[in-house]
Amino acid sequence: MKNGISFFLFLCFISLPLQAENLVSSIFTDMKQFDKIATQTKQNEHYQPYIISVMQSKELEKLGVSNLKEALTLVPGIDMATDNLNIQTPIFRGSNPFAYGQSKLLIDGVVVNNLFMDAYSEYLSMPIEMIKRIEVIRGPGSKVDGINAYAGSINVITYAEDFKGFESNDKLVFKYGSYDYRMGGFVKNFRTKEFMTHIDFYYQKDNKKISSGPDGLSQGSLGAANVGLSQSEKAPLWLDEYSLGLNVKYKDFTLKARILKHKQGSAYGINLALPQDSDRLKLPSYYAELGYAKKINDFNIDIKAGLQYGAFDSKAKLVPDGANLGGVVFLDGAYGEHYAKQRVLYQSSYVKYSGIENHQITLGYRVTQEKTIAMTSKLSNRATGDAALVDYTNILPFFDKDAHRNVVALSLQDEYDVNDKLSFLYGVNYESTSYKDAGFEPRVSLVYYKDFKNIFKAIYSCSHRNPSWQEMFTKNNRARVGSTDLKPEKITSYEFAYIRNFTNESYLQSDVFYLVNKNQIYNSATDPVYRNSAKTDIYGVELEYKGHIFANDKVYVNYTYLDGRYSTDGGKKYNLPNVSHHLAKGYYIYSFSGTLSLGTTLKYVSSKDRAKGDARSKVKAYTTVDTALNYKNRYYNYTVNVSLKNIFDTDVRYPSPQNTYVDDYAQARRTFLLTLKKSF
Amino acid sequence: MIRALLFSTLLIQLLFGYNYDDLVLKAQSSIFPKIMLLDKKVQNKLIDNKIIYTIVYDTSDYETALHVKEYINTTFKGHFDKYPYKINLVDFSHLSPNTEASALYVLKSSTDNIKKAADIAFQKGIISFSYDVNNLKDGLVLSLMIEKSTILYLNKKYLHAKNIDFIDSLLSMVKFIDENNF
Repeated sequence: MKNGISFFLFLCFISLPLQAENLVSSIFTDMKQFDKIATQTKQNEHYQPYIISVMQSKELEKLGVSNLKEALTLVPGIDMATDNLNIQTPIFRGSNPFAYGQSKLLIDGVVVNNLFMDAYSEYLSMPIEMIKRIEVIRGPGSKVDGINAYAGSINVITYAEDFKGFESNDKLVFKYGSYDYRMGGFVKNFRTKEFMTHIDFYYQKDNKKISSGPDGLSQGSLGAANVGLSQSEKAPLWLDEYSLGLNVKYKDFTLKARILKHKQGSAYGINLALPQDSDRLKLPSYYAELGYAKKINDFNIDIKAGLQYGAFDSKAKLVPDGANLGGVVFLDGAYGEHYAKQRVLYQSSYVKYSGIENHQITLGYRVTQEKTIAMTSKLSNRATGDAALVDYTNILPFFDKDAHRNVVALSLQDEYDVNDKLSFLYGVNYESTSYKDAGFEPRVSLVYYKDFKNIFKAIYSCSHRNPSWQEMFTKNNRARVGSTDLKPEKITSYEFAYIRNFTNESYLQSDVFYLVNKNQIYNSATDPVYRNSAKTDIYGVELEYKGHIFANDKVYVNYTYLDGRYSTDGGKKYNLPNVSHHLAKGYYIYSFSGTLSLGTTLKYVSSKDRAKGDARSKVKAYTTVDTALNYKNRYYNYTVNVSLKNIFDTDVRYPSPQNTYVDDYAQARRTFLLTLKKSF
Repeated sequence: MIRALLFSTLLIQLLFGYNYDDLVLKAQSSIFPKIMLLDKKVQNKLIDNKIIYTIVYDTSDYETALHVKEYINTTFKGHFDKYPYKINLVDFSHLSPNTEASALYVLKSSTDNIKKAADIAFQKGIISFSYDVNNLKDGLVLSLMIEKSTILYLNKKYLHAKNIDFIDSLLSMVKFIDENNF
C-alpha cells in the first residue's frame, strides 16, 4: 500500500507542473504528520489493537479532578484498593484486589512501578495539571516493547509531548483544599530547531487524617494478649512530596528523568496498630532513561538504557504501649525503622522493519537487572522490651539484603495490514528470569474497520506478572513472608470489542472479556507465606460512551459488569471476593460560554463480597457526586476552578483483608478544592 | 433491554451538538487551503487578486472559528503558496450570495444552515470544505477525517462540476462519498 502511494506520487511528480507537484507533496507530508500525531496521541485509539480509554487532562481539570488517582477512578473497569500502609492500587477488572503490580504505570513511556511492592502508589497523587493525557489499556494486550502488563497499563503523557505549531502549555499552578492541602507547581518547555527541553515541578502537602478503627489488634493481629490495646483514632494519611521532571530531546537522542520525593503518614500501621501522627513512610522514586531513535531506510531503531532507584523507608511506632509480644512487654510501645533501597538497570533494543509490503515487523530484547543495594532493620529491643532501637539488620533482617533478579525478555511481532479494512497483529514474547520463567507468551489481535462508523476487534493474549520483591524476599515478619519459589502469575485473555463512531468526537465502545488467571499469589493472616494458591476466572462487559447532548456540552459515561469464580489449591469455587460487580462512572460538562463551565462527576461502585471464611457483611456500595465551576479568563490567560467533592458526604470504604481493620479503610468524605492556573 | 439500549443510542445520536476535535481542526486548517490551490480554476476565484477564505460558523462557535483563523495565520503567514489571502469569519445568519468568498470552510450547524452554505457555494462555483464529513450529504464538497490514518473525502457529485476542476493527482488521494455511503 505504502509503496503503491509512493509510486503514484512519483508518477504525479513527473507529470505535474512544479507548483501542483509541491502542493501535492506538501499535502502528503501534512497527512503523514497528522497520522503520526494521531497515533502518538491515541487520537485514532479505536483503530489500535487494544481496548483503550484516553482521558484528556484539560477536560478533567474542568471537572475539578485533582490528580492521577481521581482520573483513574473514572476509567471503565477500574476500582481502587488500599492496604494498611495506604499503598493504593487501581484494580483492573476485579483482578486480585490485594496484589500490587498487576498493572504498570508508565510516565512518558518509562515504567515507574517500584521494585519493592511493584506498585506505583507514590505517583497516584501526581497533579492533573502536570499531565497532558492518560491512556489506559485494559487487559494484557498492553504489552509493548518488552514491558509486561498483566491486567492493564496506564500511560501518563506529560506536556513533554509538544508538537510544533501547537499552543504553548507553559503554566503556573496553585491549589488549596480540605485537610489543609496546598500545592504549587509549574510546567515549562523550551524549544529550538533541534533541541527541546521540558521541565515540570510540583510540591504538595496536606494534613489528612481520617477516623479509623478499631485497628487490627481488635482482630488478634498481635495475638490475644493485645486485643484490649486496640484503638480507634484518626489514621495519619497525610502527604508531603515534591517532584522534578526533565525531558530533553536533541536530534535522535532523548533523556527522560524524574525525581520524586514522596513521604506519607504511616496510615493504618505497619503491624495493623494505629500509628502516631508523625510516623511516616517514604517511597522515593528516581529514574533516568537515555534513548536513541533513528529511521534508516525501512528500519526504525529504538535503543534505550535506564536506571531506576526506589526505596521502602518506614519509621513508625509498631505496637502500642504495654503490648506483650511473645512474653516480652513493651511498656513504652515498640518502634521500628525499615529501609530497603532497590536499583533497577535496564537496556532494550528494538528494530521495526517495514520493508515488506503491508507488514511492520518488530524484533527486540529488554534486559533488566534488579537488586537491593541497601537494607537496614531497626526495632525496639525484642529481648527486654526497651523502646530504644536496636540494629537487627544482620541478626533479624526484615528483608533479604542480597535480593537480586535478572530478567531477559525477547519479542517478535508483526503488524500485517491485510487490506484497507483488516489488520492483524501477532507475535510472541519470551521471558527468562533468574528465578521462575514465564516462558513463551503468544498474542494475536484482529481489527476490522467495516467503515468509519463500525470497528470490530478480537484479541487473544497471554501475559504474566513476576512476583514482587516483597512477595519474594520479606523475612521475619508476622504478616508477610516471601518465597523465592513463587512462579509468575499467568493470564490468558479473550476480548472482543465493537466501536460505533458517531462523529469525530462521539462514540460508543463496547467490549466483552474473559480472563483466565492462574498461579495467583496470595497469603493470609493465618498463613503469611506467599504462595501460588489461587485460580480466578473473570468475565464481563464494558460500555463506554462519549459525546454530547446539546451544543456546548460534553457527556462521558461508562458501565462495567464483571463476575467470576475463584478457587484456591484446586478446591471449591467461590464468588470473587472484594470485587464490585457493577461500576458506573460518568461526567457532564456544560459550557455557559467560552469562559465559564459547570462540571459534574458521578461514580457508583457496587457492594463487594467477602473472602471465603470472612463473616463480615459485604463492603457497602457507594455513590459519589462531585461538582466543579470553572472560569477561564482569556485576556489574562488564567483559570479559576472551585470544586466540591463527594457533595453528599457519602461513606466510602475500601475493603480490608480478614482479621485486620474490621470496619475496612475509610476514605475522605466531603472536601473542596480551589485551583488557580496561569498559562503562558 | 436490547431495544431500550438501541433506542437510547439512537436518541443520543440525534441530539448531538457542536463540539470540535482540536486535531481535526488543525489538520483541516493545514490541508484545506492547499487543496483549494489544486483546483485548476482557482485563478477565477480570486477577489482583488486575493483568496478570500471564508469560515462559516454558528453563533455559539465564534471562538472555534477564531481559533481556526489564528491557526491558519500562524501556519501560512499571509500567503497560500503564491496567493495572498484574507480570512473572513461569517455567521450563518449573515451568509448570503453576496458574501465574499473564494472558498467556504463550514463548521457545524443545523441541516438548513449547511444546505444554505452548500447552495451558496454551488451558486458561486467555489469549493466548500466541511468540518463534519456527514455534512457532505447536504451538498458540501470536501472533508477530512482522522481515522486509522488521515482520509480526505470528496462528494462524488462534484467530480464533474463545471466550476471546480481538481487535478487528477488529488482525485487519486481522496475517497469518494455519495448518498449511499452515509
